[in-house]
Parts: sequence; C-alpha cells; structure tokens
Amino acid sequence: MITYVTVGLLGLLTLSIPVGIVLFLLGFGVDAFFSPFPLVKGLGNLVWSTSNNATLIAIPFFVMLGEILVRSGIATRTYAALDRWVSWLPGGLVHANIATATMFSATSGSSVATAATVATVAMPQAEKLGYDPKLFSGAIAAGGTLGIMIPPSINLIVYGFLTQTSIPRLFLAGLVPGLALALGFMLITMLLCVLRPSLGGERRVFPLAEMLRALVQLIPIILLFTVIIGTIYKGWATPTEAAAVGVAGAIVIAALFGGVSLRMVAESILGTVKITSMIMLVVIGASFLNFTLASAGLGQELQSFLDGLGLSPLGTIFVVVLIYIVLGFFIETLSLMVVTIPIIVPLVVAQGFDPIWFGILMIVLIEMALITPPVGLNLYVVQGARKSGRMSEVMLGTIPYVIAMLVMVAALIAFPQIALMLPDALQ
Amino acid sequence: MAQKLLGTLRGLNKLVAILIGIVLLACAAIVLADIVLRQLGSSLGGTDEISGYVMAIATSWGMGYTLLELGHVRIDILRGRTGNVGRAVFDLFAMAVLSGTVTLIALQSWPVLARSLANGSRANTPLETPLALVQTPWFAGWIWFAAVAWLTFAAALILVLRGEFRQSEEAIGCFGEEETAR
Amino acid sequence: EELSVVGSWSSLPLHKEYEAPFWSEKLPAASDGRINVNLTTHNQMNLGVGDVYRLLGDGVYDVAMTVADYAVADAPELEGLDVPLVALTADEARAMVDAARPMVSDIYRDRFNSHVLAIAPYPPQVVFCNAEISGLDDLEGKKVRASGRMTAKFLEALGAEGVNVSFSEVPGALQKGVVDCAVTGAGSGYSAGWWEVSTHLMPIPLGGWDSVVTAMNLDKWNSMDEDLQTLISEQIETEFEDPAWATAQNALVNDIACLTGNGDCPSGDARDMTLVDVSDADFERAREVLVSEVLPEWAERAGDEWAARWNESVGQAVGVTIATQ
Ligand code: NA
Ligand code: NA
Repeated sequence: MITYVTVGLLGLLTLSIPVGIVLFLLGFGVDAFFSPFPLVKGLGNLVWSTSNNATLIAIPFFVMLGEILVRSGIATRTYAALDRWVSWLPGGLVHANIATATMFSATSGSSVATAATVATVAMPQAEKLGYDPKLFSGAIAAGGTLGIMIPPSINLIVYGFLTQTSIPRLFLAGLVPGLALALGFMLITMLLCVLRPSLGGERRVFPLAEMLRALVQLIPIILLFTVIIGTIYKGWATPTEAAAVGVAGAIVIAALFGGVSLRMVAESILGTVKITSMIMLVVIGASFLNFTLASAGLGQELQSFLDGLGLSPLGTIFVVVLIYIVLGFFIETLSLMVVTIPIIVPLVVAQGFDPIWFGILMIVLIEMALITPPVGLNLYVVQGARKSGRMSEVMLGTIPYVIAMLVMVAALIAFPQIALMLPDALQ
Repeated sequence: MAQKLLGTLRGLNKLVAILIGIVLLACAAIVLADIVLRQLGSSLGGTDEISGYVMAIATSWGMGYTLLELGHVRIDILRGRTGNVGRAVFDLFAMAVLSGTVTLIALQSWPVLARSLANGSRANTPLETPLALVQTPWFAGWIWFAAVAWLTFAAALILVLRGEFRQSEEAIGCFGEEETAR
Repeated sequence: EELSVVGSWSSLPLHKEYEAPFWSEKLPAASDGRINVNLTTHNQMNLGVGDVYRLLGDGVYDVAMTVADYAVADAPELEGLDVPLVALTADEARAMVDAARPMVSDIYRDRFNSHVLAIAPYPPQVVFCNAEISGLDDLEGKKVRASGRMTAKFLEALGAEGVNVSFSEVPGALQKGVVDCAVTGAGSGYSAGWWEVSTHLMPIPLGGWDSVVTAMNLDKWNSMDEDLQTLISEQIETEFEDPAWATAQNALVNDIACLTGNGDCPSGDARDMTLVDVSDADFERAREVLVSEVLPEWAERAGDEWAARWNESVGQAVGVTIATQ
C-alpha cells in the first residue's frame, strides 16, 4: 500500500494535476483497492470537519498580515534597513534576505507567507545590484521556511493540536533552533562567498549614521512581534487568537507607518483568499487520504515495518528522519504532517522521546521539505516572484541551506537541550 | 463567447473573494472583541465555534477564485517540456479531473447537510447553533466551485479547439513556473 | 467475518487496556477464527469526534466507540445518558448507565442506524483550578473551561463563565489565567501535567462520567447469524464492559491519590494539589440548580417524551425527577 501511494503520487503529480486533487484521487484509489468498506461515503463529513476548524483560521489571518505589510510598504523599508546592517558581510545583500526572513518569521506563522513577503521586496534588488540569482533566491526560499520555526507558527499549532502537546511550550522550544538556523544560513553564505566571491555580488558598507537612522524602520516589525507574542505569553489570547491580534496589529501599524487605502485592503484580501484556498484544498485532500489510509490499516503496516526492524530508540529516530526526508521531496508539508503525525509520534514517544523536542525536529525536516523539489512550495513562491530565470536556479540555490538544515537535525538529536532549554527554564 | 464566459466567471469570483475577505476581517474583529472582553472579566463565548464555521464557508467559496487565478499548485515537470498542443492537453486533462473530483465532493457533501436537516442537529455547544444553518452555505460553496470548474473547462476547451492556445493557457495553465518565466 | 473497528482515543487507558486487547485478541480467539478484526482509532483516522457515529450509520466501518456526549449534536436526547453530579461512585454511574441502556439503544437505532453493544466509562470529569477555591460556590464568576453542552450549561447556571479552550491549550490557559478552572478526567489531567499549572482539585463529577458507547452498524449486525450475535454480545460484556467498570472506581481513587498525594499513586510520582471537599449543603445547592434549571432546559431540547422516559428509567435509578410542563 505504501508503494502504491508513493508511485501513484509521483505519477499523478507529473501529469500536473493539482496537488490537492491528487491527494483525493489517491484516497479514492486506496478506498477501491485496499479497503472492503465504502470509505467514499465519509468524504462529505471529512471535508466538513476538516474545514470547520477554529485552529486553521490562523492560516488566512497570518497570510493577510503578510499581505498588509507588503502592500503598505513596511516590508520594503524593513528590508532596506536590514540591508544597511548586514550587506558588509561576504555575501552582501543575501544576508539581508535571511535577516528579513527571520524578522518576518517572528510575526508570521506561515513559511509560504514569509517567503512571499521577502521575495516580493527583495527580487527587484537582485537584478539591480547584479547578484548571482541562484544563491540570492535560494536564500529567500530557505529563509522563508523559518516562518514555521520561529514563533508564531501554524505548523506548530497543528502539531500541538494533533499530539495534544502545549502550543506555547512548542513556540518557546522553536525560538532557539530558529535563530540558530538563521545564523547557520548566514555562516554558510559567508563561507561560500569567501570561497567564490562571484556568488555574493557587491559588499556594501554604509556610514554608521545611516545604519543608526535605518533602525527606525525596524520599529513597526518589532512592535508587531511584541504585540503578537506578548498577547500569547501574557495569557490574553491563545496562539490561534493571536493571529487575529496580528491582523489588527498589522492594520494599525500600516496606518501609522505606511498607508492604508481601500485598494490596498482589497488587494490584501484577494491575495489572502487565493493562498488560503490553495493551502486548504491540499489540507482537506490530505485529511481524506489519511482517513482512507488509516481505515485500510496503514498504522499496522508502518508499525509492523518499524517493529520488524527491531530498532533501538536512536535507530528509530534515524529511520523516521529518513522517512521525512524522502516523503518531503514529494508531499506538501501540512499534509505530510497531518498524514504522519498520528502514526509516527506515538511510536517515537513510546521510545521515550520528548514530544516537544520531536515536534521541533519534525519542523526542521518540514522546513527542508518546503525547499526540496519536486514538491516544495517555497521554491514556487520565490520563482513566482521572479520576472525571469529558470526554476532550476532556485532549486540549486537552496542546496547550501539544505545542508545547514541537516546539520541542525544532527545537532538537535545530539543536544535535545537546544530545543528544550527555553521551555524547561520558563516552566 | 468563451472569453466572455471566463471574464464573467472571474468577475463573479473576485466579488465572492472580496466578500469572504470581509467576513474574515469581521471574524478577526469578533475574536479581538472577545479577547478585550475577557480582560474586562466577561466574554462573548463561542468565538472559536464561529471561527470554525467561517473557515469552512470561506474555504469552500474561495476555491473558485483560486482556480481562476491559477492558484492551486501543480507540478510542471513533464508539461513544461511539451509544446503548445501538449500543454493544452495536460491542462484540459487536469481541469477535467479536478472538475470531476470537486463534483464528487459536492455530491458527497449533500448527505452531511441532509442528515443535519433530518435530525434538526444543533452544535454540541452552549450556542446550540443549528448545523443546517452553517452547512447550507458551506455546501453551496462546493456546488459553486464545481460549477465554476466545469464552466472554465468548457470555455478552455472551446479556446483550444479554436487553436487559441495562449488564451487557454491564461485560463487553465500553470502559473509562475518555468515557461511563463522564460 | 471481517470487522473494521474504530476505537476511542488511542492514548487513554480505556483503549489501551480494554478495547485494544478485546477486539484484536480476545474476541477473535473466542470466535475460533470466525471473526477477524482490523482495529484503528478515531483520532488516528483524524475524524471529527462528531462524525464517528454518523459514518458508522453510513456503513463506512462496522464497529465504533467514542464518548456519547460527542454525538449529542445529532441527538439531544442522548445528553440524558450522562448527567453531571447525579452519580458519585462507579457503582452509581453503572446503575445510571444500565437504566439508560434501553433508551440509548433506541436512540442509536433511530439516529445512527446502529446496534449498541456496550457502554463503558471514562473516569469522571473533575475540576482543576488554579485559584483558591473551597467549594462549588467559589466557581461563581470564575472562567471555566468545559467540554460538552450540558456541563457548560450547568457551569453557567452555577454562575461560572464558560470559555472554550482546546485540551492541549489548557495548561497554558490555566497558568496565565485565561481560565481559572478546567474540567477533564482526573487521569487525563494527571498525564497531561495539569497539576503543574493548577493548585486545587475538586473531585466531583461535574462533567459526568463520559460514557463511551460501543455500537455496530445495524445492517452489519442484522447480517450476522444468531450464534455470532450472541457470542459478540456475551464476550463484550464479560471481557470488556465488566472489567472496564470494575476498575473504574479504583482508577478514580488512584488518580486522585496521584494528583493530591493522599494515598498511593501507581502511575508515577504523586503530586501535591489541594483536595477540595464539597460540603453537603454546597452539593445540595448544585443538585438543586441541576434539577430546577439544567435538566428542564434539556427536557426542552430533547422533548417531553424523552424527559418522561428519562424520569421512569435513569431518574428512578438516581432519585431525580425532572419537572415538565
Ligand atoms: Na513564525
Ligand atoms: Na519538497
């Protein structure tokens, strides 16, 4: 059955059927060939209860927040300010991409939204200043993935929701690994650009006065982050509700520091509906596929596969990491989480691992899946923002950052405290 | 005629999308009001229940807009390597499969609503929301998506048969990928 | 017979200790190979809890079990199976459930096209508070997280304010004061670490006992021969229902010991929550609110016929009569 699903998925995807529809088709196939029961009768109920979900409303809210920041000009000015501060490093403006993505990650719960925001403001600069398009766009795609590691994070909300673990604790656990990853991205960029200066384009040093003046431009984003995270940790709002606070905050901040017009609101709304429906078709399809797989006994199949291997706890983690890397090539990330969490997490926890720690480990792997072809949403988002050039350039450009993520996976396994120290300390 | 149909569909869906956005903003406002009220020691109650309904309805009605904006992700590995006719075949096939699947979803959604109507079901919450009240617009959204999908397919088919490949690709192609960027 | 069975929450003891062994080992063994079971759980299938019996009735799978309270959206009369505060011990709860059994069977037949096989308990739903409380009176004005409609209405009638928080967000909500109190099973609260973020425990079943109903699709049931029907009915009673009830009282005592440190805790380290005794007077007042406000409201939702039927069965067993117009 696992073979059937994998082959079917690849085959249907190459026919360029929409990803969400492919998941439904696979579900129909599992129903027809592997289950004696009329699972398709459950389709309507599944679609209703998957989309009638108060947690998922965080998705449109975070997307809208990003849209407002872009269309009010705040995103562009933040980018310019960070450019003043980091472009003297070997790699120049590439660091501004990573730094901007890190900052927006702190206000957005979605990697796609983060990548879209940064790509929109950064791409015009690459061409103007003559950067290598591969590394430049790869950095945006990879930096955007931080959106789900640095709190807030839709994926961590979904993980907490499915595994019954505390979402605020997950958010705390993601902070250090998220910042460490951002640092790792910058280090590997510097290393590459020292070795091959042509990758990085021009290094630019700005006068100190200009750097200090630029700091003012960061105020809106820092304010927004403080409002969103503050309401969660002050206990005023649940993490899901904080997304609504973020939308309101973005509108107020846009009015104060940028500009709000009816046209801008309308454009933000249209962008939000487009991205939300795209994500939701995939989420609903994944949920239906998961339902058919579970009914047809995937849980037992996977369990007996892992039991048959007779692995030590460390061996289990190794195999699980491998599974996620391979599945991550082909499966959209939210669906990957929804499909695998109910099966994998109980196995991992039974081996004595901390579910909070595993959530963070999984997020790194999910981040990787977002930038590995053929199915990597962030690749498409960045390519969509480019006016020219081949898709393969973006894919090549992300390779260094995939390596940084693999190092992070190893570090998390060797030192679980990277994830657990903050939640433990603030307990 | 095909172009006119596509234009009408785009216009209608844009209107729907704007309405959805307004509902989402209203929902954010309700959540915000509840947070503020809680600080003052009271509560609206049931905001997450309402958010759930809003999400379900917004999702089903937003699908058609995303379809016409070419927003539903597709992989372009093989398709991108073929010519005008090849791409048109890929696109028409994908649209037919999508339309069929969505129609099945819409049809299977009816029993959900029908049972809520038959049982007079009310949500298991203090609000006791009659489920049919919120499932009717949700169901209608999927019907709308199915109708938009088939009409778009028909319009694109006419364009392809007339040899107007550029126009058909604008209607049902893959957005933001290799060939549009090249 | 090939049976596909959808179990209740996979992480809770009822599934791990009773459901899973019964369906995957005991019943197939007792049937001499006539019955083969494919077992999963509704959370592993990512089903909405309200859909479990709907899909059972449609014949998507053959057997399903979950908390009856999840299905009251489709059947308000089902709320009468599990009324808060009327059964204080496992024996009383079983008497209540047994009295309700014919009613429940009719409801499942008519609403969900299903045949009821068994009713087993989750541990009673008790109250965790991160606030100084000394009795039920103190709930007045507090923000309380409840699950289920009748509990929420009951809390409102007591002057508390219902707040919706999902299970996984409760610890944070308690810690930060988004809610002052939360209702859940004593065992779930222990294993989810609620003792870290709350100080007071009121061990009365304010949320009822959360009865878990096991039912089989009616067409499937009718398609089986009488021998098999008898076998399943007998086996499920002696090998699943009876053992689950037999340990229910002990489980509650143990869970309370684990949370408060009064007595031995077999599941791990004992914690030191303050046990709140509910005075008789306090308790009587709550029952009065229940009988005079909450139950008559339910009678309106469910209809007077159901209220009358409830009075004759469950009401008699627990000594409560709902006044209807
Ligand atoms: Na984030
Ligand atoms: Na991927």
